[in-house]
Amino acid sequence: MTGRAIKKRILAALALLPIAFAQQRSFVACPIVRDTKTVPCFLAESEGQTYFLAIQQDIQADLYPPQLLHEVLVEGTVAPGPPVCGGIPLKPVKLSVLPELNLACNMILPAEPGIEAPPTRRPAGPSTKQAPVIPAGAPPAARPAPPQRSAGPFTRRDFQITYDFDSAFLFSRDTRVVSQAAAYATAAQAKTVEVTAHRAASLLSNGRVLTENEAIAAQRAERVVDILRGLGTNPASIQVHIVPEVVKPDGVTDPEKRLLTIRVTP
Amino acid sequence: MKHLWICASIVGVSATALTWAQQPSANWITAGSSGMLPAQMEFATPTGKVGVLLTGGPVEMKDHPFFTPLGSNRRACVTCHQPAYGMSFSAEAARELWRRTNGKDPLFAAIDGSNCPDQPQELESSHSLLLNRGLIRVYLPIPKNAEFSIEVVSDPPACNTSPTYGLKSANPMVSVYRRPRMAANLKYVTNPGPAIVLKLGALADKDPVTGRPVGMNFMADAREATLTTQARSASLGHIQAASVTDEQLRRIVDFESQVYVAEISDRNGGNLAEPGGPASLGPKAMADHKPGVLGDNDYDPVFMLFDAWKKPGHTPQDQFRASVARGADIFMFRQFWLRDATHINSIGLGNPLKRTCATCHNAQMTGQDLSAGWVDLGTTNYPRWTEPPLYSAAQELPVFKVTCKPSASPHPYLGRVIYTTDPGRALISGRCVDVGSIVMQQFRGLAARAPYFSNGSAKNLRELVDYYDRRFEMRLSETEKQDLINFLGVL
Repeated sequence: MTGRAIKKRILAALALLPIAFAQQRSFVACPIVRDTKTVPCFLAESEGQTYFLAIQQDIQADLYPPQLLHEVLVEGTVAPGPPVCGGIPLKPVKLSVLPELNLACNMILPAEPGIEAPPTRRPAGPSTKQAPVIPAGAPPAARPAPPQRSAGPFTRRDFQITYDFDSAFLFSRDTRVVSQAAAYATAAQAKTVEVTAHRAASLLSNGRVLTENEAIAAQRAERVVDILRGLGTNPASIQVHIVPEVVKPDGVTDPEKRLLTIRVTP
Repeated sequence: MKHLWICASIVGVSATALTWAQQPSANWITAGSSGMLPAQMEFATPTGKVGVLLTGGPVEMKDHPFFTPLGSNRRACVTCHQPAYGMSFSAEAARELWRRTNGKDPLFAAIDGSNCPDQPQELESSHSLLLNRGLIRVYLPIPKNAEFSIEVVSDPPACNTSPTYGLKSANPMVSVYRRPRMAANLKYVTNPGPAIVLKLGALADKDPVTGRPVGMNFMADAREATLTTQARSASLGHIQAASVTDEQLRRIVDFESQVYVAEISDRNGGNLAEPGGPASLGPKAMADHKPGVLGDNDYDPVFMLFDAWKKPGHTPQDQFRASVARGADIFMFRQFWLRDATHINSIGLGNPLKRTCATCHNAQMTGQDLSAGWVDLGTTNYPRWTEPPLYSAAQELPVFKVTCKPSASPHPYLGRVIYTTDPGRALISGRCVDVGSIVMQQFRGLAARAPYFSNGSAKNLRELVDYYDRRFEMRLSETEKQDLINFLGVL
């Protein structure tokens, strides 16, 4: 590639940056629940716009809905396409339930004609054997892989968990990662299992910066180490690194920085 | 095999020394009784009969550690786990026992059968929580790792403020008052869980003998890991034994592990366990079915299908059975906003959650939660508690103010200052988020063992259904409420 071509590509990429940033939304708001004839939708308002955040699913879902009585930190990208459940869709989106109570966050809107939740695999009642309601051409449901015995050869491997803002809670999806790391460490007879936990900050669209509490990285590490030990990881191999420094937030990649890494070295 | 269900009153007269069975009020087995406990028994309940099945065959009570006093207060396991009352006991039975024994039965032992040991034990008022609500005192220290402090706000039973037994005594204890759970159907209740508890994102407790994870689902606060550790703790605590041998513990656990209890007939519904009827009913169904089955689905539901009772009919029995079947459908399919319930809404499902009773009560045959089942439904925590206003003269339970440390994760729906009559699981875990969380109970043999909820606040199934109706704004019609009551009553 010639120097001119490279320059042209860089300029093109730079030209796209403001557009990408313009599509980024980071804000704190009360969630709003919109009932529908199927499952409820979760919405939020920011700067005069209503955004669609999530629908009710179940514990196996990739995205968990927010909670009334709590504000939610929304970090997402405006997705093309028509409104969903009366709101502008964000995809990808990261939702963090902020831990402190906010009793003002308590709005449930009734179902209205013309406002429908996206198709969901799990109805509002009990689960069903009926064919799941999914759009034509949609990929099959992502099911957690069955536990597999790790086989060699073993190499250095990282297992990563990203957290909700100011949270050390390990959801079902997260404990699966810790279990996989523990299984791999045992199978590989790991020399070291390094747990590196971070705290982070989030740059909101209005310029405000939210910073996680100082103890959160240590709490994240403590919970993961507890599970690793309980699942049989050699305690002598476990090393813990707490990273208290907060990387300057950019309003785009901030959710990725609320990170814990389990590095297994055979 | 022909199952001959023997009415205990007949057995008592005919073959054995079971004088306790000669009249309904005398179905109480006193610790130290002798005689053969039949393998199949039926006992009258307010709405029919409860069936008790011992899958290992008849049991001689004489010298059996479940029935024999092991400690200084003349109690045995059977004192609180009576076959006639679904292997628990009812408050009405406790009142009858008080009348019959003038309060001398060991059930009323000062240690925990009274509001507080330092109260005059001859007075009924000193046993008011046991007599009115069927409650036993449970006294626990504040955990060393507690994320909170506890103050006593109100103390009608006067134990938490007692200079000898209270929070400021030389041996500080928190006294809470809970219903004894039924010692039956235990293969379901002790079904092992996964290594990691879904609701906590943390490890489950382990069986100290095998090292395997346990289900954490058989005590109100899940404080004991296994039936053996529970039997040891109860022997040394409730029974005030100086010691208990491994052999005694083994026999206790062996006995209670083969006891199955369910309602077996209903005065309106007839024989509940007849062939062709709902497959979940009766104690034999409890014995035969396998544990660990998730029933939150429409093809193999929590209490299976009641289609056989949906057929049209005009007899009172047909109509009652149709009502039960409607109640089963309400339980499985009637949607409502399930909200502000810690360890349900807070584990990723969202708040609120538009679901049904079966979402939480999802374990087939028992209606517990397959996951470690402690949840803050709200029964113990202000403002949704089951109790009258704090300063009402009708207030019976102690009220605590729990203040969580700033570093703790707050209770998801009550924050950092919580008023509660029972901190529940938090007294074991030390966690602020667990304040008020109580392990779900199984739904079987309910007719035999009122009142309900861990704090005995629902005197009958109507009060229980009314609480849920209020709590979750279900807006049940009178017919729906009665259908649910009829359904719960036949389990």
